Amino acid sequence: MTGEHPALALRGLAKTFDGKVAVAGVDLDVPAGSFYGLLGPNGAGKTTTLSMAVGLLRPDHGRAWVLGHDVWGDPVGAKRLLGVMPDGVRLFDRLTGAELLAYHGLLRGMDPAVVDQRAAELLDVLALTDAGRTLVVDYSAGMKKKIGLACALLHGPRLLVLDEPFEAVDPVSAALIRDILHRYVVGGGTVVFSSHVMEVVERLCSHVAILAGGTIKRVGGLDEVRGARSLEEVFVEVVGGRTATGEELSWLSR
Amino acid sequence: MAVPVTAAAEPDRQVSARHFVRLKLRVMGNNFRGQGWRIALFVAGVLVGLWFAAGGFLLLAAPGFAGEPRYALMTAAFGGGLLVLGWLLLPLVFFGVDETLDPARFALLPLSRRTLVGGLFAAALASVPVLTMLLATAGLVVTAGALGGWPAGLAATVGVLAGLLLCVAASRAVTSAFATMLRSRRVRDLAAVLLAVVAALLGPLQIVVLAAVQDADWDRLAGVAGVVGWTPFGAPWTVGVDVAEGRAWAVPVKLLITAVTIGVLLFWWSRSLESAMVGAAGAAPTKTRRAPTGGAVGQLFPKVLGWAGRDRFGALVARECRYWWRDARRRANLITIAVVGVFVPVMVNLGGPGFAASEQGVEFTGDSSPVLVSLSMLFVGVLASVTLANQFGFDGSAYAANVVAGVPGRLELRARMVAFSVYVVPMLGVVSVVIAVVLGEPGWIGMAAGALLAAYGAGLAINGYLSVLGAYSLPETSNPFAMNTGAGMAKSLLTLLSMVVSTAAAVPMVVAAALLGDAWLWLALPLGAAYGVGAALLGSYLAGDVLDRRQPELLATVTPRR
Repeated sequence: MTGEHPALALRGLAKTFDGKVAVAGVDLDVPAGSFYGLLGPNGAGKTTTLSMAVGLLRPDHGRAWVLGHDVWGDPVGAKRLLGVMPDGVRLFDRLTGAELLAYHGLLRGMDPAVVDQRAAELLDVLALTDAGRTLVVDYSAGMKKKIGLACALLHGPRLLVLDEPFEAVDPVSAALIRDILHRYVVGGGTVVFSSHVMEVVERLCSHVAILAGGTIKRVGGLDEVRGARSLEEVFVEVVGGRTATGEELSWLSR
Repeated sequence: MAVPVTAAAEPDRQVSARHFVRLKLRVMGNNFRGQGWRIALFVAGVLVGLWFAAGGFLLLAAPGFAGEPRYALMTAAFGGGLLVLGWLLLPLVFFGVDETLDPARFALLPLSRRTLVGGLFAAALASVPVLTMLLATAGLVVTAGALGGWPAGLAATVGVLAGLLLCVAASRAVTSAFATMLRSRRVRDLAAVLLAVVAALLGPLQIVVLAAVQDADWDRLAGVAGVVGWTPFGAPWTVGVDVAEGRAWAVPVKLLITAVTIGVLLFWWSRSLESAMVGAAGAAPTKTRRAPTGGAVGQLFPKVLGWAGRDRFGALVARECRYWWRDARRRANLITIAVVGVFVPVMVNLGGPGFAASEQGVEFTGDSSPVLVSLSMLFVGVLASVTLANQFGFDGSAYAANVVAGVPGRLELRARMVAFSVYVVPMLGVVSVVIAVVLGEPGWIGMAAGALLAAYGAGLAINGYLSVLGAYSLPETSNPFAMNTGAGMAKSLLTLLSMVVSTAAAVPMVVAAALLGDAWLWLALPLGAAYGVGAALLGSYLAGDVLDRRQPELLATVTPRR
């Protein structure tokens, strides 16, 4: 489809905050047309990595390319092909859903008529039309995720980078988001998303990477990474979890 | 060992105010961690505070040093009263209130309202301004001690400490109540009107006071001071003088007045605190707005922006316009500009010369001069533009949307200036008309407007730069007066800096008013407007370049740390 370039390529991305290493050199190739899951426990560096990959956070070292465009050298070319839904970042939430979509569309240089038509369609599909003139700040958490996704999709990007798209989303909305993303990939798009919900990743992804302590621990096709076991087992083993059974916390039981 | 979970466990130790103070100091300390410039700003702020404290100390201690008992009561009553007034009004208008400990954070803890208010109050006392105040008001103790020996000094010490509590309680209660009011969109208009009325009262009041000063002899002033001494504004500060002058019986009464006032203020604060906590924890207003009309793009653009193109620039302007009205924090700034912008020039131009013109008293005579008008207009223009000094801080992490879309810096800054001007330029027009009419010099409208526009444009340019280089994050609370401790210092100093530079940039307008005489009355508007627009364009051109290189860094600085 898009030829020889991977949809997203990261080389040696690293970031240190106040002497604390958040990401310690991440290399990653996301093939075009793949559905890529970035797994990791809390604090593994998922958000930091994705922020550096899309141009929101300047890396200390390393580079990132979106379909061959250098994110830091040719930001205009890269950002045109890119749709992003960051996590833990506010939207311009004193706008209504429709206003927010119009803002994003025009900001991307789209034709106003196209913006109108796509915004109406997206609001309809995501069941946000009923919200009417409610401001996004008054939306529920799930609705905020959906409008965030709509903003990222509006300009028809070739690569979609989503940070925790399924967090705080109810099962109905989650199924809807899954369907939309699935259709997007079937239509030739590429999705990279971070999550720590194994079940979702196993159902959706063609490729996964497990990130822990700021480095990639496992990477490859889904079957390649999990082998004969379940993804959760592999994940817990790689990350090195601990189970609380014993004398500690005994005051929790009566 | 196994305790039934239904029975609330008795806490081993009571939570006391000490814990809140320690928590606040710890939060302040952690804010400084690894941020050299913040420490530097903090130290600079402390030094400025000490300088003011020393000045205040000398002023309040002067009657004691000079051995002039007849000024002692006046200094204590008026000086102390002004301090209380300052604590009451300044946080509302200008500085904001330190919310290092956000009350909403304590909503889930099993703390009684009494504990919470006591703790937050104690934490509020542990701040630089309070220490500054303590140093300054120590002057009253010196005066009382010099005039009435140690009993008077002792009474003054107790009074000063009580007065300090009163000041802090007043500022907390008022800002908290105001924040609650502004948060509710329904009451916002009422809040605007209230603020305007308060400010409107300041003008006439000042004129009356000035008139009184002019033809009053010292006895009458002393009488007024005596009355003020019996109000909560003056009561705590005057007890020392009372002892020195042989009215020891007044001390318990005045301290009682102060204590009751503090009690009432704390009660008021605790009431609004509760609603602030609950409000922050959820309960979104689920009122149904009328059904949307037209397409998404049509909804984004307010009616006044019918002229704007439906493109990137138009979208940025439209979004900013919506935000200046819908964001409580920004709206509070707009209201401040409107109120201060009208009343400060009126007061300067009517009240200022009133000092010199001794006979005319209260009459509204045009004592002003073109230079004075231009100067006060400069102040208003600069004050309006300084609101943009942290324009990206208002956005917070939402600014990420513009970074992801790769908005060019120059376009971004120009759009923000235009959107803000949609509100401010009409206001400035009203200010120049009002000032000219009040002064009885309709011919000065052009000159006033010219000076306003020049100062405003120059201010936009300076603050465009400042907003890119000196941005800081604002806490994500709905309290429009809230800010972080470290940022409090930063805000005051940067604001001051930008006002000085902007004023300097617009001084040619005043020089021209002084030199050119009547010709300037006609030239001021076109020249001033051209100067302002030119400066703003140049500023956005140069600062936009910087913004292009610093977008991710800017996003990082305005994103609140969690």
